[in-house]
Amino acid sequence: MTIHSLPARTDAPARTEPDQPARRGGGRRLLRERAGRTHHAGPLAYVLLAVMAVLSIFPLYWTMVAASTDNTRVSQTPPPFLPGPNLFGNLARAWDEAAMGKAMINSTIVAGVIALSTVFFATLAGFAFAKLRFKGRNILLMLVIGTMMVPPQLGVVPLFMMMSELGWSQQLPAVIFPTLVSAVGVFFMRQYLSEALPDELVEAGRVDGAHSLRIFWSIVLPVARPAMAVLFMITFVHAWNDFFWPFVVLDMSNPTVPVALTQLSAGYVRDQSLIMAGALLGTLPLLAMFIVFGRQIVSGIMAGAVKG
Amino acid sequence: MGTLGSLRRKAAATAAAVGALSLVVGCSGDSDSVTGGSKDGDKVTITMGLFGVMGIKETGLLEEYEKNNPGVTIKAEIAGDEQTYYTALQTKLAAGKGLKDIQGIEIGRAKEITETRADMFADFADIPGTDHFLPWKQSQITTKDGKVLGLGTDIGPMAVCYRKDYFEKAGLPTDREEVSKLWAGDWKKYVEVGRTFKKNFKGDGVAYTDSASGLFNAMVYGYPEQYYDEQGDLIYDTNPAVKEAWALASDAAEEDLTAKLRQFQPGWDPGLSNGTFATAVCPAWMLSHISEKAGDVNKGKWDVARAPKGANWGGSFLGVIEESPVKEEAQKLVAWLTAPEQQARIFKDLGNIPSSQKALEDPTVKAVKNDYFSGAPLGEIFGAAAQEIPDKQVLGRKDGTIKDTFSQGLALVEQGTPRDEAWKTTSERVKKAVR
Amino acid sequence: MATSTTKALAGEEPPGPSHARDGKETSRRRGAWLHRLDVKGAPYAFVAPFFVVFAAFSFYPLVYTSWISLHDVELATLDIMEWVAFDNYVDLWGDSRFWNAVQNTITIGVISTVPQLLMALGMAHLLNYRMRASLFFRVASLVPYATSVGAAALVFTMIYERDFGMINWALGTVGIDPVNWEADKWPAQVAISTIVIWRWTGYNALLYLAAMQAIPAERYEAASLDGASRWQQFTHVTVPGIRSTIVFTIVLSTIGATQLFGEPLIFGQGPNGVTGGANNQYQTLGLLLYEEGWKNYQMGRSATVAWAMFMLLVLAFLAQRLIKRLRSRTS
Repeated sequence: MTIHSLPARTDAPARTEPDQPARRGGGRRLLRERAGRTHHAGPLAYVLLAVMAVLSIFPLYWTMVAASTDNTRVSQTPPPFLPGPNLFGNLARAWDEAAMGKAMINSTIVAGVIALSTVFFATLAGFAFAKLRFKGRNILLMLVIGTMMVPPQLGVVPLFMMMSELGWSQQLPAVIFPTLVSAVGVFFMRQYLSEALPDELVEAGRVDGAHSLRIFWSIVLPVARPAMAVLFMITFVHAWNDFFWPFVVLDMSNPTVPVALTQLSAGYVRDQSLIMAGALLGTLPLLAMFIVFGRQIVSGIMAGAVKG
Repeated sequence: MGTLGSLRRKAAATAAAVGALSLVVGCSGDSDSVTGGSKDGDKVTITMGLFGVMGIKETGLLEEYEKNNPGVTIKAEIAGDEQTYYTALQTKLAAGKGLKDIQGIEIGRAKEITETRADMFADFADIPGTDHFLPWKQSQITTKDGKVLGLGTDIGPMAVCYRKDYFEKAGLPTDREEVSKLWAGDWKKYVEVGRTFKKNFKGDGVAYTDSASGLFNAMVYGYPEQYYDEQGDLIYDTNPAVKEAWALASDAAEEDLTAKLRQFQPGWDPGLSNGTFATAVCPAWMLSHISEKAGDVNKGKWDVARAPKGANWGGSFLGVIEESPVKEEAQKLVAWLTAPEQQARIFKDLGNIPSSQKALEDPTVKAVKNDYFSGAPLGEIFGAAAQEIPDKQVLGRKDGTIKDTFSQGLALVEQGTPRDEAWKTTSERVKKAVR
Repeated sequence: MATSTTKALAGEEPPGPSHARDGKETSRRRGAWLHRLDVKGAPYAFVAPFFVVFAAFSFYPLVYTSWISLHDVELATLDIMEWVAFDNYVDLWGDSRFWNAVQNTITIGVISTVPQLLMALGMAHLLNYRMRASLFFRVASLVPYATSVGAAALVFTMIYERDFGMINWALGTVGIDPVNWEADKWPAQVAISTIVIWRWTGYNALLYLAAMQAIPAERYEAASLDGASRWQQFTHVTVPGIRSTIVFTIVLSTIGATQLFGEPLIFGQGPNGVTGGANNQYQTLGLLLYEEGWKNYQMGRSATVAWAMFMLLVLAFLAQRLIKRLRSRTS
């Protein structure tokens, strides 16, 4: 079932008329038409963005500065603004003292699995909530939103007992399973798809006799790509940084990164620059991921349309 | 590019993801035992859960024990923050799962553990060679019917750390003996010296002491009863000791003798490194914090004098979980770790004051001096201070919470709230917290 | 909406000609039946994974939470629960700390959410331009989100420190007296809000950006043909075009603001943070929950706060719906 684009139409209306159902490939065509960016940025835009970039990066930069000095210098006045000589020394020390090797692997597994499964199930459910009609849809959607409102801290005690029963305490599944899906993700995809996915595309698929899963694979997924990339990133970051529950259920023999980092503040004296070095270590993999996925988002929808 | 092809690829990717998932699930072993330890023939594994400042792992004692006891492996974990550690411990005690064979217990939690979780801990009453502790120390971890839930590690006798250079600038004596005499026997004299200091000190930006709450704690901990009486009833609002300490600390706060800092918080550290206060009431375990944070620049400027009165602030215990598969081995390890020789060694390496009477009498302990604090004879000062601690120390279930609430009440006074109003607020908060 | 046409096209298959051969007829019928099953059943199959996992790992804790909110129970002794019916709720209603926390939650919520979403909107709009280094700007805007609450709050706490913090130092160089960021109510609330704003603006901007990229270019072309200025295009095309995403971020920030606790906890440093400052000047509901549960270890009362937070959100959303309905009736 190859899709070769129909000749591009420059005068296409925003929506196809319902009485002229789009044929196979209409989805791609529509996508391409949506793929315009608006204006070129003026100098003012660059200035504003530069200011925001500085504000965004400065605290992290200062974390790096603090991590590169020593424990005394970090709390002197005026505060240090330039990096000191100890950055790599402190990073290495933080890596050793917190036993970061295993923690990094664990965190990658935990955050990766959670993010993949959240994106997949959220897109599936978000599509159903946005574009399919079924009994109880609104009530179920309210339920999804309702689950977001319950403060997460309180579930900890019963959840811990449950994990003990399952024999999962101190094991990664105890951290992974409760967050395999997320209400935030479902709601996000629902909101995104109800705007980005034209009804006509779904209808066109139906006319072609495609079943729901096929429509999902070949029509919904391409449209959802930028949102999926975003959702993957935010879920990954969230899972990576999650602290309280992993701290309760895991231990130092099998920690995630934030849990391992608590070891840095153990001992007699809190070494502020060491703690900062640890904070930096925990953040660096995420930044690396942003750079990789940032490209995904930039290319985002354009790529989806052109490759077709 | 065919859609079918990409579909197949996506399906493969999904399958791979699901596979990875089941792999992760597959690794989950079953943990039937209550604690992490295990025994397999001659091989024994003992797990330990510690927090913050216990000094057991840092001194290499565990490696030494492993060397002397072939077949024994010790896995120790140290959580940074006691509050988080204790929360996790409580959750695990409630669930009866996920515990370590040996668990650290902070003094502020001792009462709660002895009242509510005595059944979870093994009894040390009949373990031989454990009669060398200060008398009040072990009584804190003993239940009403005589079960001993743990052995003591360190204690927190008090002294006063002071800056010699600032004292000189204020025309006060700098020799530690003379300084000790200035306030001997009465905390009121300590505040009186503060008034003199404030009047005579030439220069800006230096307060007499770091915080009102440090003074308050030192005074309150000098009495056998603080917030609870022996029957376990709350007496904080009638106890004259609390009232007296509150009044004196409020005096210091209102007269601007304090730097209005919070001990052990990030704002306190720059206070140390920049030298914004001249004295701090210092339990023994606080010294390494001061020397580290004040830094090499201030080496030799600090000294240690005796506190007006003896008091104990802090200290910990090691307990063993009753249902541990390696209960005997773990108890043996705890007995060894808290034995006089090991306590003496931790003191020499890190400065934790031994809770063992025998270790305190050890001449090598008494001889310990500290270069950073102008060669102050710490072994002598704190050893003597340890003997001055009242022989009875009544603990209460919510001591830690009440202490924090009072610290906050005094912070209110430091910020300008009238002391009666601050007392009222504090008292209401305590009532709500302990109800 | 997908609705009427979809159903007409998909659900009601026109009956086949009756003189067709029997075998073909059956297979067609089976196809139709499968098709109907797909249309009716697939939506449930699609949303099922969410609800299954939720039921397995969140529903039981939830029920448990409401159950313990009717008891006097401490974390240390979870097995000893004393039935107190609705006493915890009654006490909470009469507790001045609760109303103080409600007030703080609302004020911090407003000062952190409103500027955050407006800035995010502007930022997304800028990022949506064709430009050089757009990857850099996008990644830069997300740096704060990559930072954990703990690390972010720690850095900001140092920056806002009263005696030696960077901000007071900078204020000092231009002759302004140092601000006591932690101890005074409004400075503290503003400082905490800046941590929230810093961490979440880029995140929201990214969500907006993803939605903006789905707006068809011809809408802009049509608008510019009509002579709309860039600002008018922004308000008339961009903002309506990402309306659902804006709704999403508002809902999410409202929920986040109601549950706010990590930032003030760390900002207040230790035990002082749990109570939201010496005078509870920035204690949020999330902190009150935390104080009752993880400092006083009173699980029953903590659960009660959780349910109060939940009810507050439900009230907020009901009020919002009511206002919407009234407005649409009057207009």
